[in-house]
Amino acid sequence: MLSLGPVAFAAPWLLLALPALPLLWWLLRVTPPAPRRQVFPPIRLLRDLPAVEQTPARTPWWLLALRILAAALVVLGLARPVLGPGAGTGVAAGAAPLLVVVDDGWAAAPDWPARMAAAAAAVERAGREGRRAALLATAPAETGAPPAVSALMPAEELRARLAALRPKPWAPDRAAALAALRRFREAHPGGFESLFVTDGVEHAPAGAPEGFAPLAAALAEAGPLTVARAEGRPVRRLAPPSAEADRLGVTVQQIPIAADAEAAVLARTGDGRVLARAAVPIAAGAAEGRAALELPLEIRNQVVRLELDEPAGAAGVVLLDERFRRRPVGLVAGGEGTADAPLIGELFYLDRALAPFTEIRRGALDQILARRVAVLVLADRTVPEGPERERLERFVREGGTLVRFAGPRLAERPDPLLPVALRAGERQLGGALSWEQPQRLAAFPDHSPFAGLPVPEEVTVERQVLAEPAPRLAERSWARLADGTPLVTADARGAGRIVLFHVTANAEWSNLPLSGLFVEMLRRIVALSAGVAGVEGEQPLAPLETLDGFGRLGPAPPAAAALPANRIEAIAASPRHPPGWYGTPAQEGEATYRRALNLTAGLPPLRAAPPPAGAALLPIGGLPAERDLGPWLLAAAFLLLALDMLVSLGLRGLLSAPRRAAARAGAAVLLLALLAPAAPVQAQRVPGGPEPEGAAALATRLAYVATGDAAVDEIVRSGLVGLSDYVNRRTAAALAEPVAVVPGRDDLAFYPLLYWAVTPDAPQPDARAVEALNAFMRHGGIILFDTRSEGSGEGFAPGARAALRRVTRDLAIPPLAPVPEDHVLRRAFYLLSELPGRFAGGTVWVAREVDRANDSVSPVIVGGHDWAGAWAIDSRGNNPYAAIPGGARQRTLAYRFGVNLVMYALTGNYKGDQVHVPAILERLGN
Amino acid sequence: MSGAAATRAEALGAALPPLVVAAERVAATVMQGVHGRRRAGTGDAFWQFRPFVPGDPSSRVDWRQSARSDRLFVRETEWEAAQTVALWREPGETMRWRSHLSAATKRERAELLLLALAALLLRGGERVRLLPSPDRRAFAGRGALPALAESLARHDAAPADAAIPRHARVVLFGDFLAPLEEVSRTVAALAARPVRGHLVQVLDPAEETLPYAGRVRFEGLAAPRTGEEPVLVPRVEGVRALYAERLAQHRAGLMAIAAGVGWGFAVHHTDQPPEAALLALWLALAPQG
Repeated sequence: MLSLGPVAFAAPWLLLALPALPLLWWLLRVTPPAPRRQVFPPIRLLRDLPAVEQTPARTPWWLLALRILAAALVVLGLARPVLGPGAGTGVAAGAAPLLVVVDDGWAAAPDWPARMAAAAAAVERAGREGRRAALLATAPAETGAPPAVSALMPAEELRARLAALRPKPWAPDRAAALAALRRFREAHPGGFESLFVTDGVEHAPAGAPEGFAPLAAALAEAGPLTVARAEGRPVRRLAPPSAEADRLGVTVQQIPIAADAEAAVLARTGDGRVLARAAVPIAAGAAEGRAALELPLEIRNQVVRLELDEPAGAAGVVLLDERFRRRPVGLVAGGEGTADAPLIGELFYLDRALAPFTEIRRGALDQILARRVAVLVLADRTVPEGPERERLERFVREGGTLVRFAGPRLAERPDPLLPVALRAGERQLGGALSWEQPQRLAAFPDHSPFAGLPVPEEVTVERQVLAEPAPRLAERSWARLADGTPLVTADARGAGRIVLFHVTANAEWSNLPLSGLFVEMLRRIVALSAGVAGVEGEQPLAPLETLDGFGRLGPAPPAAAALPANRIEAIAASPRHPPGWYGTPAQEGEATYRRALNLTAGLPPLRAAPPPAGAALLPIGGLPAERDLGPWLLAAAFLLLALDMLVSLGLRGLLSAPRRAAARAGAAVLLLALLAPAAPVQAQRVPGGPEPEGAAALATRLAYVATGDAAVDEIVRSGLVGLSDYVNRRTAAALAEPVAVVPGRDDLAFYPLLYWAVTPDAPQPDARAVEALNAFMRHGGIILFDTRSEGSGEGFAPGARAALRRVTRDLAIPPLAPVPEDHVLRRAFYLLSELPGRFAGGTVWVAREVDRANDSVSPVIVGGHDWAGAWAIDSRGNNPYAAIPGGARQRTLAYRFGVNLVMYALTGNYKGDQVHVPAILERLGN
Repeated sequence: MSGAAATRAEALGAALPPLVVAAERVAATVMQGVHGRRRAGTGDAFWQFRPFVPGDPSSRVDWRQSARSDRLFVRETEWEAAQTVALWREPGETMRWRSHLSAATKRERAELLLLALAALLLRGGERVRLLPSPDRRAFAGRGALPALAESLARHDAAPADAAIPRHARVVLFGDFLAPLEEVSRTVAALAARPVRGHLVQVLDPAEETLPYAGRVRFEGLAAPRTGEEPVLVPRVEGVRALYAERLAQHRAGLMAIAAGVGWGFAVHHTDQPPEAALLALWLALAPQG
């Protein structure tokens, strides 16, 4: 140890290298920089040149100075200089061994680095003085071993043990520490100096003998004692909250201080997002402060963790488990295909209404019943006799809640799984052929779970299924219409319940699903249902994740053991049961069930532990500790050497102009890359740019898929222009200019009809395009595929059929059939017996009428008559493409097919009623 | 013949057409105008009618012209003697080099000039051969250029040929960086045939200006093979003027050698367009006679 004023060197013998620096000076002077190599043919002419100007080959003096400075810095850095040796250790110089006692319980976590710095400084100092040292941590170790004094060893070796020390998420055991100290005294009877880095908290439970004072007294007895403790910030912890109706009451406890203070509590989700923050005022001299976290129930369910908004360690963290029961809801629709269609799907409103406050499960009935759900919703889903019905009955008998919604299918085939018997058919209120008005809701009866909910005026019911009159109908009705007919009926079956809404779950029969009342009704029903029970009783809960001393969640330590479920509230945190999540791991079909063991739930009230009289006091933190200058000096040396390398390269001519230019270009590219993402954002705001979003929705227009072949695209475009003109002249429809679209890039939702001329080299659409096209068809769009090589046009585009197969490979094309004689496409506007385009005689295919999705409107029409060619008009209004076999009649028929097509796309099967005219007339006649 | 040799020949042949085309393109820019011996002799072109003198064979009388007057006339054609031009390109390794200032190596540029000149000569009806012609073959006719190019690719010999015709013309392309004595010996041997000729020194611009700076270790091209000692120049800026002086001295020596035997001498730098050099060369060759 060599001390020079404020700087001391830990390895002073290395300074002997400093006198060797002039040698380096001499070496560098005689060694010129390495030359650059250059191949040069006329080398002969360069031989034997007279030696001119040898001096510049030598290293310039400033470069020499730079290198010698770097070398000197390396030598000084390796000599381990220390700034301010011995500052802030609080340990007097001496020869006696040093015992470092560290409180490493939960209360030490907030200012752990400062505590470690204080302990490390004392050990460092002892090490420089050649003293031996020992360490005593007062909290039990993670393995559960009680506190023990380490062996007396050279202070340098103790430093590694000290660095490995971490605060524990449980309380120190000072009584056990005292026992360990007594054993140590017996083994080492001589006196020793001690440093007690304490957390200032009396951890012994109220009523038990105190732990801190005896330990401090025993230390003072053995030799000089220094007590290091944090001053200036009180010890705080967060107590488990109290759940109230719509809020969480939080309590922050602290050791009383003389001034008003304010703490803050954060509510976090499982992924760490902060949902709310509550300020908790604590009055001067008070031991705790209270505040309320006001959160809606939906949000509250997402909170899994409350924590103090300050470094507080494990004692500042409270984990919230599922104290209320989970109520998963299963959703099943009648027709799976269209159940999710926006605004008209059967499950669309249910999903929106339930998702915010419940866990929703979707799928087939079997899959949902295989797991445990509290509520099962069947939207217009009939339950045929068989195993399915038996399973449902069992589900209800065992306590499940079955909620059913009416609909056309249920009206046709009622089944016994209903609270009331239903009349066949449905009742229609209001409408073209009815004198009745749509009915409003009556106020909810008192026995109904909906009682007290306000009934909005605007909710009306146009259609419903009717219950057969029965003696107990009134008490089974939870909601009625103004005229007294039941709207929601319910009946208990076994431990469970069946609830029937007499309307559909979409807005077809009533606008109830559009109202906020719908959400409230569903919420009441779900709240009424029995929850899914968790694990109770003596069943062991294994540790899933535990907190460390700093309040971070991590894998459970090996010593952590399972604890019985019914005692989790009573168990205090210990090495065997560290605070954290306990539960049963996720199993087949079941989510993880977990309960929280919170540190602060099992702690005694906070009490301060006053330092013993006569002990030297040392505040930790705030004082300048020793600072090791070595790394900084070495870093400076490396910087100088890097600079030296650059300078040397420059002197050798290796940093030539092109390289510098390249470096500059690289920097410019980097800058551009950084700026580039900002550019499109600005571009969007430029006025007069591309059409604003949504402009396509302002007018109805036909669209065609851009094929990439400019000639074909032009034919299709002019064809659609011609058809739009024709339709505008002959019908009430008003079509705007057709547009080209690229599926997957453009939004297809604005177009009723997509004309797709399939060229022989058409590529297979990519995944995004396929998704866009399938969504387009699912939501009622029609795609007309035209191979332009059918009938009389056979052979005009060889390979187009193969291309059609390629293009439609991934699309959801329904089963196809030739257009039937009575198909709406033949009757939507004109009555057509054939559907010619530029060509005639081929077959046109539409979806077979087996699927009632989209009102039986075919999502695809497939043909090869090159209709666009027939409709096309040029700038003078002529038809540039001759029809084959020809004639004005064929052209007219082609236009008429086009009109029918547009009508079909715009009105669906509205004109299909004509097909039923004979049947209607017959019924009227009867 | 081994397969490897054939493959190499093929590779060379594949590389040749663009070279020939480039040579043709360069040659096309030079107007072909100076040719013909401007006196009566053997040839196809009409030169003059002269009165019949006794002793002329009667078969040479131009009866159509003679019928216009009372005298007999003999038709004479212009003397068109095909000249043989032997061409040589320095094959040394110093030619396979280019600096950062130039896009082509000296060898590439020398071959381009050689073939362009050959194209011009062939178009003018001359006979062209490589200086040590391996099979004593002389090329004639415009279609002979690809064959010449192919032959050139295999050509790497010193400019000495016992079979060269007397009074032929010789054009030597090279950097002539060898010691002056060697050049002098070669030129003297050729001039003693006697043939007349032309030296074209093809140099890289870097060889002219020595555009390097700082401490540089210069290495010869053939250093790995010959063990040539590298030269360490502590500060290249300092010797640049001295180097230019030495180069000028060397060039003056070359010019003296050429002038001593009545040959022409020209310098071409690879960063300059080849057309100019070709035109100068053509004019230097043509107006004899």
